[in-house]
Amino acid sequence: MAKKVLLRVYGMTCDDCVAHVKNGLEKIGKNVDVSLDGNAVLDIDNDFDPYKIPSLDVFNGRYKAQVKEIKDD
Amino acid sequence: MTEYDLGIIGYGAAGFAAAIRASELTYNGMKIALIGHGDIGGTCVNRGCVPSKYLIEASKQLFSSKNPLYPGIKSSAEINFNELMSSLRNFVSKAREEKYINVIKNFGNIDIYKGKAHFVSKNEVMVNSEKIKATNFIIATGSRPYIPENIDNYVTSDDIWSIDELPRKLAIIGSGAVAMEMAYAFSNLGSEVYVFNRSDHVLKNFDNDISRLLIEHMKNLGVKFIFGDINKADDDYVISDKKYDGFDKILVATSRVPNIDINLDAASVNYRHGIIVDDHLRTSNKMIYAAGDCVEQRLQLETLAGREGVTAVENILGFDKSIDFRSIPWVVFTEPNVASVGLTENQLKDYKKRVIELKNVVKSSILMQDGIVKMLTDKNGTVLGVQAFAPYAAEFIAEAASVIRKQGSYNDFIETMHVFPTVSESIKITAQSFIRDISKMSCCME
Ligand SMILES: Cc1cc2nc3c(=O)[nH]c(=O)nc-3n(C[C@H](O)[C@H](O)[C@H](O)COP(=O)(O)OP(=O)(O)OC[C@H]3O[C@@H](n4cnc5c(N)ncnc54)[C@H](O)[C@@H]3O)c2cc1C
Repeated sequence: MAKKVLLRVYGMTCDDCVAHVKNGLEKIGKNVDVSLDGNAVLDIDNDFDPYKIPSLDVFNGRYKAQVKEIKDD
Repeated sequence: MTEYDLGIIGYGAAGFAAAIRASELTYNGMKIALIGHGDIGGTCVNRGCVPSKYLIEASKQLFSSKNPLYPGIKSSAEINFNELMSSLRNFVSKAREEKYINVIKNFGNIDIYKGKAHFVSKNEVMVNSEKIKATNFIIATGSRPYIPENIDNYVTSDDIWSIDELPRKLAIIGSGAVAMEMAYAFSNLGSEVYVFNRSDHVLKNFDNDISRLLIEHMKNLGVKFIFGDINKADDDYVISDKKYDGFDKILVATSRVPNIDINLDAASVNYRHGIIVDDHLRTSNKMIYAAGDCVEQRLQLETLAGREGVTAVENILGFDKSIDFRSIPWVVFTEPNVASVGLTENQLKDYKKRVIELKNVVKSSILMQDGIVKMLTDKNGTVLGVQAFAPYAAEFIAEAASVIRKQGSYNDFIETMHVFPTVSESIKITAQSFIRDISKMSCCME
């Protein structure tokens, strides 16, 4: 794990949404934390392009994500 | 300091489209700072497409009222230029109010800032004395008229709209869409119009045949073309091959330069003539995008600016979109219109070409208007480009854009039924000329 990515997630209205987004992010990252206020954070491998996160399947429909910050661990 | 999810610099077509699309995609959840100066709406509604098309349409009505085409009709018409210009300004204010000021009120997530912005870091701008920080920025600062060094005391397309007196004699410097449209409109309105241009080719993105036809047509309307370098122009005279004087106004319409004086270095955004972007409209700073006239690109259009604003936002949100430059239609609104989409002969090496004259199109004959339509394809018939010098071409060039976008062939035009009699049939007839001799074709031939 080499990078911590902070995201802004749009379209979540309930705890189910949070769980759904968390599930989607866990496919590519670890230590995923998603909150209903639209903030999410996760750790990803160095070889995964963080700017590809908003293109993940989970953000293909109702939810949308924006990369807020990328921190090297 | 105020923090936003998205900062948009420029509230013209690109900025507005970006702000609305971002709101739409995020259920108004994205907090947006929309920054601009001058009249909201930018060039198109205030100083570009809208006032110019209003003036052109009014001028056409005056011209055709004074010059009825059909036997048996006699008429006369007069112009009160002052009243016309005040109606134009009212129309612009109304359009700005309805399409921009009122629209933006629907979005509680968008804050408008009035002032000039410049970057102070990779994710912060200063507006007036306020610092605005944003996760992403979209630069949509547009363009402004370029003024050659040796020209003084002139007007541009920024300020021509405030004149109240019809210039008796008008010099127009330039040969692009703005120059041609203004020459056409003012000539119709009764000004004696001189167009000054370095070369004898007008509309640089069009092939020679179209350029020549337009020049001939404008000359027939009374516009005078003076080709050659301009040594000096000031107030009421232009010195080219000789001195031309007695002008009431000099309108400079040479070209437009991107507005990039916003301290791009502080944001690590690369630029040359305009802002450099990749296919996704992303700049050298991965968190900053650019859209519209400020981008280094070949075309400056309202539709392109809007599309780029939308695309930039979509890419910030992970869509992976790009602009299909092959299928952007654009038009010069003289009458006949000059319209183009796709590649031109100048840009192609191996291609097939068909050109038809509008005398083969019944509706054009009824309208008593000449012109041509040209279609270029590859060896398999896939359409690469269409250019037209035809009445109503602005209304039907989008059909060609659609076929080119889908990489369709001339058969797509033939197999699509067109309304008879329309000028839009000219595109179908041009396609038919790939497969048969259209001089031996009745007008009902599908
Ligand atoms: C006379 C004329 C006729 C035209 N006719 C047509 C037509 O018929 N069809 C067509 O498709 N196109 C036409 N165009 C072109 C079209 O108007 C432009 O391509 C389009 O408006 C560009 O939109 P934009 O959003 O990129 O820029 P603009 O609309 O120019 O908006 C730029 C915005 O950025 C703001 N800005 C600039 N610098 C700063 C700064 N430092 N800080 C904050 N804000 C800033 C400006 O105030 C403005 O609000 C015409 C243009 C002209 C001049």
